[in-house]
Amino acid sequence: MVQLVGSLRKELADSVSSCRVLVVGAGGIGCELLKNLVLTGFKNIEVIDLDTIDVSNLNRQFLFQKKHVGKSKAQVAKESVLQFCPEANITAYHDSIMNPDYNVEFFKNFMLVMNALDNRAARNHVNRMCLAANIPLIESGTAGYLGQVTVIKKGLTECYECQPKPTQKTFPGCTIRNTPSEPIHCIVWAKYLYNQLFGEEDADQEVSPDTADPEASWDPAQTAARAGASNQDGDIKRVSTKDWARSTGYDPVKIFNKLFKDDIMYLLTMDKLWKKRKAPQPLDWAVVQEMADAFLQSDEVSGQGLRDQQVLGVKGYAQLFCNSVETLRSQLAEKGEGAQLVWDKDDPPAMDFVTAAANLRMHVFSMNMKSRFDVKSMAGNIIPAIATTNAVIAGLIVLEALKILSGDLEQCRTVFLNKQPNPRKKLLVPCALDPPNTNCYVCASKPEVTVKLNVHKTLVQSLQDKILKEKFGMVAPDVQIEDGKGTILISSEEGETDANNSKCLSEFGIRNGSRLQVDDFLQDYTLLVNLLHCEDLEKDVEFEVVGDAPDKAPPAPNVPEEDKNIANGNQDSALPSTSSKVPIEKDDVLIVDSDEEPSSSTMEAAVEMGGVKRKLEDVETGGAGSKRKRLFELPINDDDIIALD
Amino acid sequence: MLDTVEKEDTVISEEEAAQYDRQIRLWGLDAQKRLRGSHVLLVGLRGLGAEVAKNLILAGVKGLTLLDHEEVTEESCRAQFLIPVGSEGQNRAQASLERAQYLNPMVDVKADTEPVESKPDEFFLQFDAVCLTGCPRDLMIRIDQICSQKNVKVFCGDVFGYHGYMFSNLGPEHHYVEEKLKAVKPSEGTSDGPDTKKPKVDPSETTMVKKTASFCSLKEALEIDWTSEKAKASLKRTPADYFLLQVAPLPSPFAPSVLLKFRTDKGRDPQPSSFADDSTILRQIRDDVLEAQGLASDLIPDEFVSYCFSEMAPVCAVVGGVLGQEIVKALSQRDAPHRNFFFFDGLKGSGVVDYFATK
Repeated sequence: MVQLVGSLRKELADSVSSCRVLVVGAGGIGCELLKNLVLTGFKNIEVIDLDTIDVSNLNRQFLFQKKHVGKSKAQVAKESVLQFCPEANITAYHDSIMNPDYNVEFFKNFMLVMNALDNRAARNHVNRMCLAANIPLIESGTAGYLGQVTVIKKGLTECYECQPKPTQKTFPGCTIRNTPSEPIHCIVWAKYLYNQLFGEEDADQEVSPDTADPEASWDPAQTAARAGASNQDGDIKRVSTKDWARSTGYDPVKIFNKLFKDDIMYLLTMDKLWKKRKAPQPLDWAVVQEMADAFLQSDEVSGQGLRDQQVLGVKGYAQLFCNSVETLRSQLAEKGEGAQLVWDKDDPPAMDFVTAAANLRMHVFSMNMKSRFDVKSMAGNIIPAIATTNAVIAGLIVLEALKILSGDLEQCRTVFLNKQPNPRKKLLVPCALDPPNTNCYVCASKPEVTVKLNVHKTLVQSLQDKILKEKFGMVAPDVQIEDGKGTILISSEEGETDANNSKCLSEFGIRNGSRLQVDDFLQDYTLLVNLLHCEDLEKDVEFEVVGDAPDKAPPAPNVPEEDKNIANGNQDSALPSTSSKVPIEKDDVLIVDSDEEPSSSTMEAAVEMGGVKRKLEDVETGGAGSKRKRLFELPINDDDIIALD
Repeated sequence: MLDTVEKEDTVISEEEAAQYDRQIRLWGLDAQKRLRGSHVLLVGLRGLGAEVAKNLILAGVKGLTLLDHEEVTEESCRAQFLIPVGSEGQNRAQASLERAQYLNPMVDVKADTEPVESKPDEFFLQFDAVCLTGCPRDLMIRIDQICSQKNVKVFCGDVFGYHGYMFSNLGPEHHYVEEKLKAVKPSEGTSDGPDTKKPKVDPSETTMVKKTASFCSLKEALEIDWTSEKAKASLKRTPADYFLLQVAPLPSPFAPSVLLKFRTDKGRDPQPSSFADDSTILRQIRDDVLEAQGLASDLIPDEFVSYCFSEMAPVCAVVGGVLGQEIVKALSQRDAPHRNFFFFDGLKGSGVVDYFATK
């Protein structure tokens, strides 16, 4: 006789109330998930989140109230849940899941892990920990109206890293510095400018005209000559931007004229750039002051709209620029000698500065200016978010969890939430899970990968930070050269191999065909890296992973050319070129008497995401014949600065 | 009611702008203003009702009335996250009120403890939208008819174990807008040769397109003659879950109409505490219903009984999420509404939108 406890059969109900589960993240999905778990009968839950509560969370993270702003999300979430379910046994950690305290042994305590994250680095890390501990992981993501849930189980399904994910959108240096054509280029420039003036100066974030722009000269030899010359030319690179600004006392007018007049006039001398493009028009501070007072920013909320959604005039942005420079200058002074500021979209003068600088540059380059609201979306990589999408996805997560606990792994699915029903009338589309990729550089039995770089130019530091950590998701790599001597190149122990950091790889005998054994002991992960020496990588490209989709592959036919969507992936152009997946034509016959879609690997649907405006058409028809892409790429990281590639 | 001038003038404060930032970036300021001027009635505060309440309050409607005449039982404490522990014996709507209000102090949340059956017609007409959960079929039909007099938007929804559905009637002429990307214009020429590039049209610029959708009444949605040739032909393509409401036969693994009939006959939904007896009754209703339509009882296998008891929290979350968003869309008049049913099967993870009407 079947017994029920609530809606569940007794055996399942017992399993649910006795098992321990881990929830990684207590934000949009996390709050909904915790609520669903306790209401379903889960009793032993651990939740971890490094973040604190912000007012913009309150439209969806319903376990938090205004009085909780500034407090730990994990902690407050726990307290709120206990209000309606005091018998739940919840442990809250205000911490990063990447902290080495949470090792494989820690993960092994749980029957099941559920991610409720918003960034790829953490997802990669938890993926590896769950593989190492061999426990099921339920992965999920949402953005706007769209969402997705899937199940990862070592040996049975693809892991999170089986399919290469598109890396964050980057723009070539010369586009940012010389020939911006879209607002986003100007916004990226403005963020770089902030760092150059007030923050940590980064060689990859130059803002001055790029004299080595290959497009600028008629003759390649001349480009090389210019590149060499610029190092000697006092006007251009000798003095750092910050030093120069300091020498003027951070005089806003002088800074304004340098950036928007002098540098622009310099660009105009690079006449080849402007043969086929509209030339920029310099702005002079004095001239701007004479302009009419269109929409000076006021402190009152305008009758109809949000203050932030107003678009000011040039004079307004010039004023905003001046004011924000002065405020930031004071902030810097307060912090004392050698201080640096860190850009934060929620820091008003920082946001003002980027809004003003970006708009002034947009105006110079004949683009329509943008409101602070829109600039903030782009500069801050803000993903719009609502409660209902998270509620649906969190519901689906628990349903998958119940299948896992019942031992019904073969019933598990990837489920996509669309904005509109697909041609088969489905709003929620379950798809069979894919088996692991045998060549996966994470979950294959002996993961291996090949990287092209210049052994004479790549520094050990870059190998560690840009390749092993950023690209390959390691947290604390240990690197040995397979040279018969087991030479240690990088040690994860603090300070041990610091002396190696500024040397280039060739100094250690590394050359074409060399192999590195890379271990991350926390993740219980060993990767063999084959190196190919290459001297003609593209400009601004430091390395290339063989077998990866190039970042700027030609777009698929139904994507507008040069789609500059800045969100964190999901572009047709980033579909792996080595994919063996066959797109389904509209006329293909699907299995009509099954309620389910074929494996998602045979369905491709592009989800174009980004900022406020998205390409909606593809998404709405998600399903056979249209393209679907995994949502987990979004968001990568709320505050990432878009890097030069 | 939604087209009154008042709504257009609603001012959004800086406080609201900060709190609603992430959703304004999705559906726009106009939509937020319309929400900000809307009043909604929510009937039924069990699991599904609580989810809808949460979603509407967080979205920022002007007012939400929680209506439920039932009392909190020991079981409800586990079923619903708005009711604090120790509320047994209190009215459900009343017990839910405090935590509902905490979700968003800017919304005017009220509790009404009267039975919905006793409310006069005019009661419903003061709202912009009415959402009915846990109501018997005939009551839903009656309220739907009342609301159509003044174009009050009507929504219905239920969850039975792993299964759930929602229905909407937005009236014969529901107007809304959709945001579309602006077409990239061909470049206006300059004289500089064939390859001249112009400053690109900003790819993020969009335009609003006006549209209209029509909906039938709940009565029309349910009175499909499944014995007709046309209906029979469409049966095979009909999502099994449609039949949550129908008192007609269904080629489905479970019997929603059976469930509604149970509710009408017994005055309550099947309960785990009387699992054995209720299962027997359910199977009997299934037999009767199918027989009346001349269909074999194995169209709905016995197993269905195990999966329709109580409300499963994750299923409430899914159905409540979709239902909540449909109400938001209708009130804000933005984005194409789902027409007119949504069915969710929690065992399969499939969620289907389909249109049923006699015409």
